[in-house]
Amino acid sequence: MEELQQTVSQQDQLRETTQQTQAGETTQQTQAGETTQQTQAGETTQQTQANTPDAQPSHDNQAAEPLIRIENLRKSFGDLEVLKDINFEVMPGEVVSIIGASGSGKSTLLRCINLLEVPDSGHVWFHGSDLAGERTNVNELRESIGMVFQSFNLFNNKNVLDNCTLAPVTLKKCSKAEAEERGRRHLTAVGLADFIDAPATSLSGGQKQRVAIARALCMEPEIMLFDEPTSALDPEIVGEVLNVMRDLAAEGMTMVVVTHEMEFARSVSDRVVFMDAGVIAEQGSPEDIFGNPREPRTREFLARYLGE
Amino acid sequence: MLGRIASFFKDDHRYVFLGTSAFALVGLWLAMQPRTPSSFLAQSYALEVVLYYLLVAWLVLSAVALVNKLIKWRDYGTSSPFVRESLRRMVRIASYVMWAIVCVFIVDRLGMGLVDLVRTSTQASSNPTDFLSSTVYMLSKSSSIFATGIITTIELATFGTIIAFFLALLMVFLRIQEIDRSDNDFIRFLKTVGSGFAKLYSTVIRGTPMMIQGMIIYFAGFGVLRGTGMSVSEIGAIWSTFVAGLVTISLNSTAYMMEVLRGGIEAVDSGQTEAARSLGLSQWQAMMKVVFPQGVKNAVPALSNELVINIKDSSVLSVIGVFDLMFATTTVAGIYFKQSEIYVVAAVCYLILTMTATWLLNKLSRRLTGAAPRTLPSSN
Repeated sequence: MEELQQTVSQQDQLRETTQQTQAGETTQQTQAGETTQQTQAGETTQQTQANTPDAQPSHDNQAAEPLIRIENLRKSFGDLEVLKDINFEVMPGEVVSIIGASGSGKSTLLRCINLLEVPDSGHVWFHGSDLAGERTNVNELRESIGMVFQSFNLFNNKNVLDNCTLAPVTLKKCSKAEAEERGRRHLTAVGLADFIDAPATSLSGGQKQRVAIARALCMEPEIMLFDEPTSALDPEIVGEVLNVMRDLAAEGMTMVVVTHEMEFARSVSDRVVFMDAGVIAEQGSPEDIFGNPREPRTREFLARYLGE
Repeated sequence: MLGRIASFFKDDHRYVFLGTSAFALVGLWLAMQPRTPSSFLAQSYALEVVLYYLLVAWLVLSAVALVNKLIKWRDYGTSSPFVRESLRRMVRIASYVMWAIVCVFIVDRLGMGLVDLVRTSTQASSNPTDFLSSTVYMLSKSSSIFATGIITTIELATFGTIIAFFLALLMVFLRIQEIDRSDNDFIRFLKTVGSGFAKLYSTVIRGTPMMIQGMIIYFAGFGVLRGTGMSVSEIGAIWSTFVAGLVTISLNSTAYMMEVLRGGIEAVDSGQTEAARSLGLSQWQAMMKVVFPQGVKNAVPALSNELVINIKDSSVLSVIGVFDLMFATTTVAGIYFKQSEIYVVAAVCYLILTMTATWLLNKLSRRLTGAAPRTLPSSN
């Protein structure tokens, strides 16, 4: 709780400084700050968009091409059919939360998007390429798809900054100096500027997850996948990671978030997808899903989660 | 250890009578042994008698204390003179004197005895009959043979292990190759062949005795060179038994080290690979940058064992005539026709070598892996 308060007060500080230097390049951050503030105040996402039209550039435009299009995706582990003919799209700038009970196939769907899990059949279209295609260069496409794991998976043999610079430097995305500059920028944004030289193994869970987010951002991805990013964290630490994700959403990042944090799904997402037994049972705006679910199994699931 | 010894001398303790008496008995037994020619107590017979009777006096005092305790079993703690503070301190100081006396006897009888033994047996004209003298005699006469053998064994084990380590690094890369979706047919073929070769290599090498591997490598190499028309002496210059032995031990150790490395690599959490792959790194890049360094670090303690194993196992290479410690031992045993003495010497030499290697490797691996991770305070 104390850590959470400190995070909030740090953000306040950030906001103050940005206001002082508003003329400069930090306008984006101010917007992010405002968005966070308003979302926290309990207003709906729709209103937030109306207030800051620039923050989420293109997803209002329904005619735009989807960034990710999943067609007829199937995946089985042995006899267990985990994904049954999934069709699913993510528009640029959209924040999609995937909710559902354990074992409903949420994580597998997410892992199929960047092909960490190879689907049995179906297509994952991204920039005109089918990631699930037999001979697609998956490595190149993955560079634009950031992923954050439940168990952080920081590189244990590296320090915090090297975790961030490893991929950009290895893949020759930029020079070492530029990668380090990027790393510092993203680490500062997640509030870990003081830990740049610390070994990855020395951090707490919440810190590790924030480094993991910064690491993914250093590749400058077009979409971020979050696989239950707060499930391995202590309840009092969850907030610091969710705040970082809120800021990211407010900056207009396209995000697909598998989560059990219903409050986060309700306040940050543009669309909520409810999965049950390997199919998308229901999807819609957070107001619809949380306020007025059509499917009985959605109601049942939400009652279990929110009733407590 | 040092603290315990210091406390034994400084602090009051329970073993003053019992422990010192046992030690004093050892001293008495030594005093009754015949004096050796270089004994320094032989010059001052009076001193030796005084020391002897001081030990006897201590035993008498202990006996009195024991009787006193047996008689006054119930109120020993309150009434016995031996529990009085001043007497206890005096007795304790006296016990140190007893230890010193016994140490004098040990140096005089055992230490000087050993000096005499070495002196007489090294100057002996023929091999003495008793075990120790004969061992010292043979050691002194054939010290250069042993020295050559020990140096060769160290060279074989050290260089063999180092070469094997680098070969194992290469082989384990082949061994752990898995076909990735983005690989083309050529890469797939190479990976299948590489991994299959490494598996076959490991199975064959680990499934046959190193002695036979040494034989095959030495004689096959010899045969091949002979086939090119070289004379035996020319072959000896480039394909010596030492070179053949080094090749054998390197190739043999490679197979074992490869498996150790593979274990270390497979112990790295699969999340590390997934994270690297999710950033766009290829399987090879993820392996090189993330998994492999962690896997090698995992394997360091087990890898260092391989040096100790090689020190011992190099002994089988003596069958192809590598002049290692084992070969030296057999040679010396053949010269004097005394087996048990000389093989005990060889065993002690191997033991000293392996213990030294273990000690050094422990220090090394502690430096490589043991540095405790720096802990930092939580940020916010």
